[in-house]
Parts: sequence; structure tokens; C-alpha cells
Amino acid sequence: MRKEIQPVDKILLTSLICLLVIGLFMVYSASSALGEFSQNDPFYFLKRQFIFTTAGFAAMAALMRVDYWFWQRWSLLVLVFCFIFLVLVLIPGIGMVRGGARSWIGAGAFSIQPAEFMKLGMIIYLAHYLARYQKRITDFRRGLFPALLRIFAAFALIMMQPDLGTGAVMAGTCFVLLFVAGARIRHFFALAGAGLLGFIGLIASAPYRMQRITSFLDPWSDPLETGFQIIQSLYAVGPGGLFGLGFGDSRQKYYYLPEPQTDFIFAILAEEAGFIGAGFVVLLFGILLWRGLTAAMTAPDMYGSLLATGICGMIFLQVLINIGVVTGLFPVTGITLPFLSYGGSSLTLLMAAVGILLNITRHRTDYH
Amino acid sequence: MRVSFVTVRKRLFFVLAVGAVAIVVLLLRLGFVQFSMGDWLSELARDSWSRDVPFEAERGEILDRNGEVLATNVSAPSVIAAPRQIEDPEQSAEQLADVLGAGEDKVYEWLTKNQSLVRLSPEGRKISKEKAKEVRDLEIEGIYIAEDNKRHYPKGKYLSHVLGFAGIDNQGLTGLEQYYDDKLKGEAGRVSFFSDAKGRKLEGMADEYEEPTPGEDLSLTIDAKVQTIIERELDIAEATYNPDGALAIAMDPDSGEILGMSSRPDFHPEEFRDIPAEVYNQNKPVWSQYEPGSTFKIITLAAALEEGKVDLENDHFNDPGYIEVSGTKLHCWKKGGHGEQTFLEVVQNSCNPGFVALGERLGKDTLFDYIENFGFGKKTGIDLQGEGTGILFDRENVGPLELATTAFGQGVSVTPLQQVTAVAAAVNGGYLYEPYLAKEWLEADSGTVIEANTPTMRQQVISEETSDEVRNALEHVVAKGTGRGAFVDGYRIGGKTGTAQKAVDGKYLENNHIVSFIGFAPANDPEIVVYTAIDNPKDTLQFGGIVAAPIVGNIISDSLSVMGVEKQQDQLEKERNWDDEVLVETPDVTGKSLKELHEAYYPFQIEKEGEGNVVIAQSPKAGEKIREGGTIRLYLDDKSNSSD
Repeated sequence: MRKEIQPVDKILLTSLICLLVIGLFMVYSASSALGEFSQNDPFYFLKRQFIFTTAGFAAMAALMRVDYWFWQRWSLLVLVFCFIFLVLVLIPGIGMVRGGARSWIGAGAFSIQPAEFMKLGMIIYLAHYLARYQKRITDFRRGLFPALLRIFAAFALIMMQPDLGTGAVMAGTCFVLLFVAGARIRHFFALAGAGLLGFIGLIASAPYRMQRITSFLDPWSDPLETGFQIIQSLYAVGPGGLFGLGFGDSRQKYYYLPEPQTDFIFAILAEEAGFIGAGFVVLLFGILLWRGLTAAMTAPDMYGSLLATGICGMIFLQVLINIGVVTGLFPVTGITLPFLSYGGSSLTLLMAAVGILLNITRHRTDYH
Repeated sequence: MRVSFVTVRKRLFFVLAVGAVAIVVLLLRLGFVQFSMGDWLSELARDSWSRDVPFEAERGEILDRNGEVLATNVSAPSVIAAPRQIEDPEQSAEQLADVLGAGEDKVYEWLTKNQSLVRLSPEGRKISKEKAKEVRDLEIEGIYIAEDNKRHYPKGKYLSHVLGFAGIDNQGLTGLEQYYDDKLKGEAGRVSFFSDAKGRKLEGMADEYEEPTPGEDLSLTIDAKVQTIIERELDIAEATYNPDGALAIAMDPDSGEILGMSSRPDFHPEEFRDIPAEVYNQNKPVWSQYEPGSTFKIITLAAALEEGKVDLENDHFNDPGYIEVSGTKLHCWKKGGHGEQTFLEVVQNSCNPGFVALGERLGKDTLFDYIENFGFGKKTGIDLQGEGTGILFDRENVGPLELATTAFGQGVSVTPLQQVTAVAAAVNGGYLYEPYLAKEWLEADSGTVIEANTPTMRQQVISEETSDEVRNALEHVVAKGTGRGAFVDGYRIGGKTGTAQKAVDGKYLENNHIVSFIGFAPANDPEIVVYTAIDNPKDTLQFGGIVAAPIVGNIISDSLSVMGVEKQQDQLEKERNWDDEVLVETPDVTGKSLKELHEAYYPFQIEKEGEGNVVIAQSPKAGEKIREGGTIRLYLDDKSNSSD
């Protein structure tokens, strides 16, 4: 089954590098005012993002060379470690609270978000599970249900932080994997129904989630509280127009848009680079999806297919949700934009995932 | 394995297709926000970035009919601070406190407030131009001078009730300032600077200046010269009689244009804060309502003439001093009555029983129809707030007694302006006009007329012929009757006295009357109608003919003179009483020597000017009428010198 090693997918790699370079520029532009204000250094965030990117490249370059069957072998262990960290982060004293959620573990610059790792860990494990038990996948009790149980356990732990955005991305990615692996459509409808009920339950249990949803429907009904972020985001995107205000000329980054370098970096991009620039970035993500799914289709075995699918799905779901939020299409969730948003653990992890994806492309077969 | 791999491929294609659709949706949404919503969002965003320093508009000026300025503005800028742009609040506070004369701590508090813009009020509000320049010269970053102005009334108390005044925000609060506030106020402009969310200036975005639009200038029907005369006469009346109140209205009877209007107590519009609200809120000529008294008889007279119920020259009436109506004796104001008179004399004497007779001849419905047609019981429609409607008897409750009292002006309540418009209609040929003050609207700087108001005629109430008869009768009142106080040599004045009792809690007050007179001139073609009422004049007989008539006479004669109306020769001779001053023609004494003058025993005081013994000029000139015992000024020169 093994073929000779091929070069990595150049298109995929090129579009990724494009995104990373644009990301560095945008992190600088979006954060220079804040950096100067809070750290007395306009390059503060850029410097750090540069370090993260370098670390990400190292991780990517390393994993690119690790044949992906390695992950199949160790998938259970990966999952167990991820679960351990997910439990640890919930313990006060170990997990740190930032932005209202106990999501961080570690110290200062070396802190990580275990939920981020679980996203990838679950993909690694689920791809293995589904590849191995693919014939049972149409059987609910013996195939689908055990998988769902593991997914739900991880989701529940993430929701205890709570971090709805990451949980949703993880669960969504898993559903894509189940779907691609051949789960019955009938089961999906049933699951979708149950998922919807659960989602409604989660929203009902925390009123701020409901407010986020209503504020997304009409942000101007509460412009200073729940609608604030969406409005400020639209104030950046709208005036951008076709060509944008020019690099560095965003106005909304001057403290109007909270955290412009993380969740709302796409708004600053749309403001400074206009529809042309923002649309270009969307297309780059499109290329990434296309090349990633091509890798899934040309992977030499089921595990490679599913692993590639999962990584693509994870990246693209985040893109979809983040840009949807920024343009007022979805309620505010707190999802970063892959490769562009400032943030160490998220960026390093995503680039590591792409490293795995790139390795899969090296084993591609020309399917007849 | 193969079969399931096919399923996986199919599903992967499906996922790719969904992803492609998602990308298209994102692009469409992005385009929608950036293009379709773009302008709207840009505007909202601009609003959220910009901090406005207001530049108040100049209110329109108010002018008299000849362009004399009655209300204008003086520049009074305000200081506004943007605290987050101020680098050294302590030093800035020290400098500003010094210039503005405010406490340093207070200024420091302003400059450090957690607000994007702070008004330094009151010390920095509406300051003088010079102060503003001093502030500007400090060159403090973050301190802005907002253009503003305050209302200035150059003539002080003059026309105060009509003009009203504008408040601290240049908003019209009373009078014309309030009534026409929308047109006068203009639209404020602004200087906008763009700020980040922490209030500091955004680099790279220039300040924007939006020029304020000044209000339109209002040209009034008021004639400043007539108004000056009215103000003067009311001042004199106030000084002479110390009344509870006084008012006067002058109107052009041929259009309803108000030429002058004033009342006492008055106020200085720039000091309205120190004045009781009832003083500036009650514009008595349009607001107050009281029994008109005898001036109302003009309406009864006009109605009776129009209906052919009386022949003034030939019908006779005997007044024994009272008339009995439904068992009640209604007394004439003159004890013992006026005896046998023609109805013209009834009018001249303002004989109450005579007017009761006229009322009875007219009947309830006809008289009340006329009263309503003349505009009583409803607003005149003048362009001022707070106009009264007056109170008439409810027709169903009018019995013979109510009809009788109404006929001579008791038991009804009217506003002064209603009387003026009604009498104007009675003497102008019968046309009832809506009185008005706003003559023209002018563009602020060019003075181009934007809008000109024209007279509004409501209806013709009586015929031209009847109106002519009314004028004639009322001229007789002034020449021979109760209105002789208003007689002016050379101007044919017609008019009617009024002495109204004041009712408080349903009872008439003793020795407390509103005495009034309404006059017009020239009697053959009236150019002006003037009404004056003095409320409770002290130390005088409270009769309209004694107190109010001379005031109206003065106002009319001086007004006609400044309006350029020529004196006439063919006026009715004044009938004299024993206490009247006799007017005699001034003899021609020019050329006579002092010795000749002494021998002639002229009945005048003589004042000499210059040296010499021959009269070369005299004042008044020969032929002009002068009071017996009055003073003639003679200009002397030495004839022998000049003939040498």
C-alpha cells in the first residue's frame, strides 16, 4: 500500500505561507496602538506573533516528516493525554481564568489551551477509530454510539470551562468526520435533532449566550452591551469598501474594537484592505480547503483520508465561524481566525496540524 | 473496502461542495456589508469617531418695517475641552482659571473629566470675544473655542412683550422669538474632530467644519418711530398716573398691520431671569380680557346704522338719566341724564340709555351676530402666542337686561386687540382684517426678501356707507363729545372713550377702572387706529376722556406726522368747555418793533432771542394756532444796523 514519498502539496503550502505573512502584517497593524498603550511597544504583539509563527513552522516542518501512521499508532495515548489536560485545566490553581473561562494551563507566555489540543487529539483518535471500525459505522449501537460517547465526553469537559466556541468547532469537526466515514444519514438527522436540543439547552442554561444570539439578530437593540462587538466590527468592515482605507489606517483598531488582533483581525483586514484584500484571504482559505480535501481523497488509506478531512474540517469551520461573526452572520463566539489571529497555542497547534496534513499529501496516490 | 471508499469519496465531494458554497456565502456577505451597508455603516462609524464642537447659528435679526434693528446678536463664544487631549491638565487649568476667572480646582476638574468633550459652563460659556482670544492665545491642545452668540436687544425694554426673548441656548422663549423660533433659529454648524475610543485625536483625519446656517431675518409691520411714540406716551402716563398697568396698540386699519404695541409693566429682554414670569408672559394687548366699556358702543352703533335702525341726525332720544329694562334701572354715567338729544349727540355723549335703545331696536340675535362678525369671542389670529378669546354671553341666556348691558359694553369681556381690529373694520369701509406682525422674511446676509406676508381680510362686516357714517359720528365724539381730550389741531381724529369697571369675584371694584380710548385718523380715510388703556390711574378722575384720550391724541398726531400724513384744514371745529384752552391764530408780528408789540397787547407770553428792537422772525409762524396765553418766541435784530 505504501508508495514512494512525493513532495508536499506546493499549492497548499504556498497559500498557507501567504496567510501567515498577511497574518503578521495584520497583527502588527491591528495591535500597534494597543501595544504602545499597554506595553509601551508598538511591536510587542508582532514580535511575539513572529516567535509563535517560527515555532509553528518548526512544528509543521517536523510533523511534515513524521509519517502519519505514527498518529494512528499512538492515537489512544494522544486522546488520553488530552483528556488528562482537559480535566486538569478545570482545577482551580492549575487552570487559569482568562476572559471568564478557565481555559489556560501553564504560566505566562508558556500557557496553552488544552481544548485546542483536544480538537486535534480528537481528530487523530476519531480518524483511527472510524478507519478501524468503518464497517460497523452504520450500526448505531456498536459503531456510532461509542464514538459519540468519546466526543461527548470531550465536549462536556470543554463546556465546563466554559468554551462554547472551541467545543462547537470540535464537535462540528467530528460530525464532518462521521459523515465522511459513512455514517447513516438517518442517524445524522437523529443526531442533529439531539444536538439542536442540547444546543438549546446550553443556551438556556447561560443567558449570556442567548443575549449573544439576539444581539447578532439586531445588534443595535443593545449597542453598548451585547451588540457592541458586532457593531464595532461592522464599523470596521463597512467603511472598508472595495479597496480599504490602506494598510495601517484602520480607525476601529483605536480601542473601538476590543482585541482587534485576535478574534476581530478579519474586521481590521476588511477595513484596511477592503473587499479585495478580505476576499483574497477568503479565497486563500478556499484553496486550503480544496487542497486539503484533495489530500483526503488521494490519501493511500482510510486513516489518511479521515485524518486529512478532520484537519481540513477543523480549520475551515473556524474560518467560517470567525468570518461569519465578524460580518454579523453569526453570533459572537470567541473563535480565532486560523493563521491570522494573534495567539501562540492556537497558531502553533494549527500549523502542527497542517504539518500532519502536508505529510499525508506526501503519500498521495493518483486515484484511478 | 472498495465500496466504502467510494462512499467516502462521494461524501468528501459533498463536503467540498458545501465548503465552496460557504465561501461564496462569506464573500456575498462581505460584499453586502462593504457595499450595500457600506455607506450607512460609514456614516454611523463616522458619528462614533467624531466629536462635535458646536458652532451655533446666528439667530435671524428682527427689524422694524424700515429696517431698524430691534433684535440682533453679539458674538459670545464658549470654551470646550477635550480632556484626553490635554497633556498637562494642571498647568492648563492654572492658565484657564486665570483667564476665565474660575477656580483653579474647578477648571482642573473639568479638564480631567472622564468625558470626550466638556463644556466649561458657566464661566466658559458665552464669554466675550476678547476673552475667547485670550483663551485661544494660550494655545492649549484640547481646548476648543465654539462659536456662539447671544441675543442683544439694542433698544432695551422697547417692544419687549412683542419681541420676547431667547434663552441661553438661543431658543425663542416668548413673543415673536418663540412664535417664529423655527425660522429665526437657523441651523447649528460644527467642527468635528475624529477621536479614538479613548478620546485622543485620530491621526490622519482632518477636522471637518460644517458652517452654521443663520436664521432668516424678520422684518416686522412695526414702525419703530410709532413704537417710540407709544413707549414715550406710556412712560409719561406711568409717571403721571402710577397706574396698575397700561397698554397701547397702533394698527394700520387698511391691512391689519400692527404699527406699534406696548404695555406696562415692561421688562428688559436681556434680563428676563430677574423678572417675574407673569410680567414677560402676559402680553396684555393680546392676553388681557376685560369689559371694554363704552368703546364697545362703536359696534352697537355700526350695527344699528347698517341695519337702518337709526338716523343719527334726525332721530331723537330723551335721556332722563336712566332707562328701565325688565324692572331694573340702568343709569347713565351722567347724573340727571343728557335730556333731549339727537342720536348723534347720544354717541357724542356716550349716553348709556341711548345705546340701550339702539340695542333693543337691533334685538338680541342681530346685535350678537354683529359682535361675532366683528371678531369678538374668538382669537384675532395675530402671530403671537397666548392670545385671549374674550367671553360673550351665551346667546340662550341673553335676556333683555343682558342685551341692554351688552349694547353699551358691559357684561362682555374682550381683548384690547379685538377692539382694535373691530374698530378698524368699523372705520376702514367695513373690512375685518387679521392683525399681524411678521411683514417679510429676509435672507440673512443679502437682505433678499424670501417671503412676504400679505394682509388677510376675514370678511366685510358693514358697508362702506355705514363705515363712513361711523367715522363721521366718531369724529363728532372727538370734536364735540366725550373724546375732546384727543382732539388735535389739523388732524381729523375720530374716536370713542371707554371707562370699564373691573370685576373681581363677580363684583365691580369701587374707584378702580380701566380707562381707555380708541381713536383713528384722518377721519375721512383712516391711516392709523390707536387704542390705549390705563388700568387704575391714580389721583385723577377715572374717565377715558380725561386720561386715555389725550394719550391717543398725542400718539396719533405724532405718528401721522412721522408717517408723513399731511395735516388737513377742513376738520370739525372743537366745541369748547369752560376749562378748555382757547386756541387763537398767531398774529404776524415780523417787521414790528418792540414798541409796537407792547402797544398791541397781544395775549401771549413773549420770549426774545437776539439783540435789537425789530422782530425778524417768529415761532410759531403767523396763522398757526396757539394756546391763549402761550409763548411766542421772537427773533430780534437791530433794524437801524441792518439798514445801514
